[in-house]
Amino acid sequence: MSEVLRAVGIFCSYAVLAVFAQSAVFTRGLGVSRLVQLVGDDRTNSWWFALLLCVTQLLVAPLAFYAGQLIAPLANRAQLRPLVYVACVAVVCIFEHLVLRAVKGPRSGQLLRILPVAAINSCVLGTVLVERTQSFTLGQSLGFGLGSGLGYLLAVLLVTEARHRLRSRAIPSAFRGLPVTLVYIGVLALAIYGFTGHSVIL
Amino acid sequence: MRRSVAEMIVRDPEKYAHHDRVFLNNPVVMQGMGLAPLVVLATTGKNALMLAVSVALLLTPSRMLACLLSRAFPLRDEQPAQEELEKKLLPRGLIYSGSAAVVYLAVYPILNALFGVDLLALGIYLPMLVVEPLLIYRFGRVQETMQKAVSKGLRITLGYVLLLLLLGCVREWMALGTVFGLPLLSRPVLPMAGMPAGGFIVLGILCAIWRALAQHRKNYLKTEARNTVAVHHQKEANREHE
Repeated sequence: MSEVLRAVGIFCSYAVLAVFAQSAVFTRGLGVSRLVQLVGDDRTNSWWFALLLCVTQLLVAPLAFYAGQLIAPLANRAQLRPLVYVACVAVVCIFEHLVLRAVKGPRSGQLLRILPVAAINSCVLGTVLVERTQSFTLGQSLGFGLGSGLGYLLAVLLVTEARHRLRSRAIPSAFRGLPVTLVYIGVLALAIYGFTGHSVIL
Repeated sequence: MRRSVAEMIVRDPEKYAHHDRVFLNNPVVMQGMGLAPLVVLATTGKNALMLAVSVALLLTPSRMLACLLSRAFPLRDEQPAQEELEKKLLPRGLIYSGSAAVVYLAVYPILNALFGVDLLALGIYLPMLVVEPLLIYRFGRVQETMQKAVSKGLRITLGYVLLLLLLGCVREWMALGTVFGLPLLSRPVLPMAGMPAGGFIVLGILCAIWRALAQHRKNYLKTEARNTVAVHHQKEANREHE
């Protein structure tokens, strides 16, 4: 029983760590290009995007954990890392694609269109690389994967929530759009540092 | 300004600007691509240089390979039908990121030979380049020809590298008071510029300045083009009159 509680504790603490202290967007800038594009994209629902990203990260974590163990003894592992982890993402993507095609709901079409954009993303690959670089265990990887996805969702919500203000006419025209969004994310990142301090482990 | 260029600008100024991936339509400043390495890693001129070489070696070859392979799943329209997107978007995305990962296999030993252990400073951001929108954004767009893949790849590389080096040097100067390790200031003016939060803010301000200058340049080109076309028309009219 205590083993189970301990595993749940580790999972939850790594999830919380990934949401706040090691936020994908605010401390590592992972997936930030996609995030700023999402702010101006009215066709893509931010919630569904972040949900698909979260599910992909959770499913990729165990695959990448075992794949990472397989390539660990190889001399050229640094060279192989992106190919192996992109292959893991591909397996998960194909699985999600097949599930979405099999479950024909009212939003299946929209989700099938969003899936590649949400899954083939620097947030997903970046999180996997952080997990493997820091040699997380399986439980830690799963918790970190989920937390990173939730952190991304939080960032998407914070930025999309502010988009009406970021389009204000009071903002000088040169700053409107991408520049002011970047400054806004920077200020939010500073606020997060205020709570957690700052350190990026590359 | 040549007459053909002037006529092109008068006819469609946006199309002309769209082709200029270095200044008027820089992939970072105008489309927000490749931001993660810029914000987190481009803290010094040296880091920026290593990233610039990596992008230069990866971008065009991977785009060429992806262009070749993605012919199996071509998107034929600028605005493809929903059904076509559902079928082709995922395989295209995997082809583009997979191609970049394959090219990375050849690029990594070159980078290792060039930079040695300094390459470790790039951490996860080096392998992460294989899914950067800068390299793979074409998967959601219409199928391009090989000639366009090469030409656009080179122009985008140039635009990105330019901004990368500029940002790296500016941040190093602000955060450490040096540029490529050479001291320029007795003490740093803004140590925060070396952190990701500072990177977002400095990049945002740099983008705003760049955009203002690009708009200024566009207006200048439009006026120049209109004047050039008018002068040529006047000359032709004079010749006919004589």
